[in-house]
Amino acid sequence: MTTRKDLLDIESLSREEIEHLLDQAGPFKELFTRSVKKVPALKGKSVLTLFYEPSTRTLSSFEVAAKRLSADVTTFDVPHSSVVKGESVKDTIDTLQSMRTDYIIVRNSMSGLPLVIARETKASVINAGDGAHAHPTQALLDGFTFREVFPEMQRKKILIVGDILHSRVARSTSTLMRKLGVEVAWLGPGSLVPKHGPRDIKRFTNYDEAMQWGPDVVYLLRIQMERQSAPYFPSLREYTKLYGVTPERFKRLEDQGTYIMHPGPVNRGVELCDAVMDYQRCLINQQVENGIAARMAVLYWLKPESDQ
Amino acid sequence: MSALLIQNAQIACEENDTLTPADVLVENGIISKIAKGVEAPAGAKVVDASGKVLLPGMFDTHIHMREPGQEAKETIQSGTEAAINGGVTGVVLMPNTAPAIDSAAMVRTIYDIAKRDSRIPVYTSGCITKGREGKELAGIDGMLQLGVKMLTDDGDAVPDMSLLKRAMEYASEFDCFFASHCEVLDLSGPRALNEGVVSHRLGIVGSPACSEEICMDRDIRLAHAAGARLHIQHVSSKLGMETIRWWKSMGAKLSAEVSPHHLLFNEEDIGNYDTHYKMNPPLRTAEDNKALLEGLKEGVFDIIATDHAPHTPFEKAQDFVTSPNGITGLETALVSLYHHFIKAGEFGWGLIVKRYSAEPRRMMSLEPVPIEEGGAAEFLLFDPEGQTTFTSEFMRSKSQNTPFLDKTLDGSIDLVVLGDAVLLER
Ligand SMILES: [Zn+2]
Repeated sequence: MTTRKDLLDIESLSREEIEHLLDQAGPFKELFTRSVKKVPALKGKSVLTLFYEPSTRTLSSFEVAAKRLSADVTTFDVPHSSVVKGESVKDTIDTLQSMRTDYIIVRNSMSGLPLVIARETKASVINAGDGAHAHPTQALLDGFTFREVFPEMQRKKILIVGDILHSRVARSTSTLMRKLGVEVAWLGPGSLVPKHGPRDIKRFTNYDEAMQWGPDVVYLLRIQMERQSAPYFPSLREYTKLYGVTPERFKRLEDQGTYIMHPGPVNRGVELCDAVMDYQRCLINQQVENGIAARMAVLYWLKPESDQ
Repeated sequence: MSALLIQNAQIACEENDTLTPADVLVENGIISKIAKGVEAPAGAKVVDASGKVLLPGMFDTHIHMREPGQEAKETIQSGTEAAINGGVTGVVLMPNTAPAIDSAAMVRTIYDIAKRDSRIPVYTSGCITKGREGKELAGIDGMLQLGVKMLTDDGDAVPDMSLLKRAMEYASEFDCFFASHCEVLDLSGPRALNEGVVSHRLGIVGSPACSEEICMDRDIRLAHAAGARLHIQHVSSKLGMETIRWWKSMGAKLSAEVSPHHLLFNEEDIGNYDTHYKMNPPLRTAEDNKALLEGLKEGVFDIIATDHAPHTPFEKAQDFVTSPNGITGLETALVSLYHHFIKAGEFGWGLIVKRYSAEPRRMMSLEPVPIEEGGAAEFLLFDPEGQTTFTSEFMRSKSQNTPFLDKTLDGSIDLVVLGDAVLLER
């Protein structure tokens, strides 16, 4: 399997590359059950995290992944408060170059920014989420989790529910699932389900119709509370009423044996009711654990130019 | 230069696509003779134009020179040299400089700089509102007194409809017209990118074409009510083209322009965030390309204009979201239109002469510059067999934000003449 310098999106990965990464994640996950959870694969390598958008979960998942590969991890402190302009990012890139880091993990609210960094540095760049564009490691951990439940993914069905329009998770996970042969559908308010996505993705704005389609997995997106002020839908209450997994809907999911996924953190009582968290087929905690394994696989696979 | 003899040229005109073979003699800046087998006067410079097309100088009415205020991107000096390099012998500047061209004093400043730094005539448009802020009317009379013909807040639409209507009512008394950059900000996304498959893929909120079309319709209706003459800038969509076609059929006092980039490129060209395809209005779809070309051939579009918008490499090397809108066009327009349309048989030289030389001048109340005996010499020699590679060495603009950078296209501009001066010779 050839290697790449950067992981910026799912689109540019081939099916073989995705499968390779999911295969690699397996042994890394096994490692977690041992008493010594570290391997020396990236000993002496330096990993730098550059998070322009705060996200404790993703950041610590990457940190744990890098440390379990024995890499040195540095958190580059970037201001979260001010709007980060392209110019200051350029300055940061110059600084990074002189630090001779091997991997840069970047999260930013501007779509396409990791590409600019990747172009300018020798280090391997991992996109940890850029704007509404891509979140490739989330997609890989989702794919890995899905495959644990359904080793034969072909023609299985996943329904992604919520704010598709602003969601990089929805984009990347949909792309990955389609590449692995999973059928994908989107459900949400008409104002948040984009018309312009790929043709082979079904679009639903009605919950019952979506359920009749018979999804094997329902993937709930986190509804951004901030969006409440933007008039994409009238109120959170109305959203929950129309698209949330309420106790009644949860009953139906249980009856149909449907699995539940969610990228976290969950807004309890908005996307889903409390009871779901204890549901046997709720994969949310598994996703978190798999996130570390998938990210280890990515770090292990990428090849920084500084290596050559 | 006392005399210049162009031998065996193929002369183009705006009336039709027929090229007339002849020799052209220029004496003291005037075309003194057009005939076959003209004898070169003693000491005349002789140019062999066999196989080449002689065209009236192009005239571009939508130019951002960035001076004053952003001289790192372009100056009147570098911009007019870029114009010459592209066969353009007259330009009209947009007023979105810093400070904006919104008063007689600013117009005078521009003309002073042009007088010192430019080898071709430079005209300027003036703002509709002070500082392009959309709040108060600019010093319209003072600018018109100095010969300004076009009033525009280009870069932005005037958001306040009643203010725009009043401006139109006020100024329609004078010999001027309004030019509209059409965009309803409520509808357009924060970034110049069409709302469509590409904006979805790249995860950037796009601007739907209706943001442009609604404003277009709005401005035409306002001008219609105010009795003003209106020009629509850089139309990018099929429905925009249809809007203009319909209003023209209703007899509106209306003209419109299309840019080479909106004819040639669409959103798919953006690929993986290529900022050389980021402009406002944004590139739309292949279907829109087709409709715009049709509109140009039918005359729905009166003129071609480039919206030459220079930005430094540093700015365009930023991420797509941050990088500024616009590409340069002066140096690539004629060659790219030849390469993609004339050579491909989509239209002939007559259309270029009419839409990129004669009509733009008429719009500005200037006389066209046809190649005819007794007329002033203002022409260029185009070699259809030649090639042009748009390297940074070739470019005279200070900026190189063009999708054509380092690309080679068929056709080359070999000679540009204005009066008794040879401005360019290759
Ligand atoms: Zn404009």
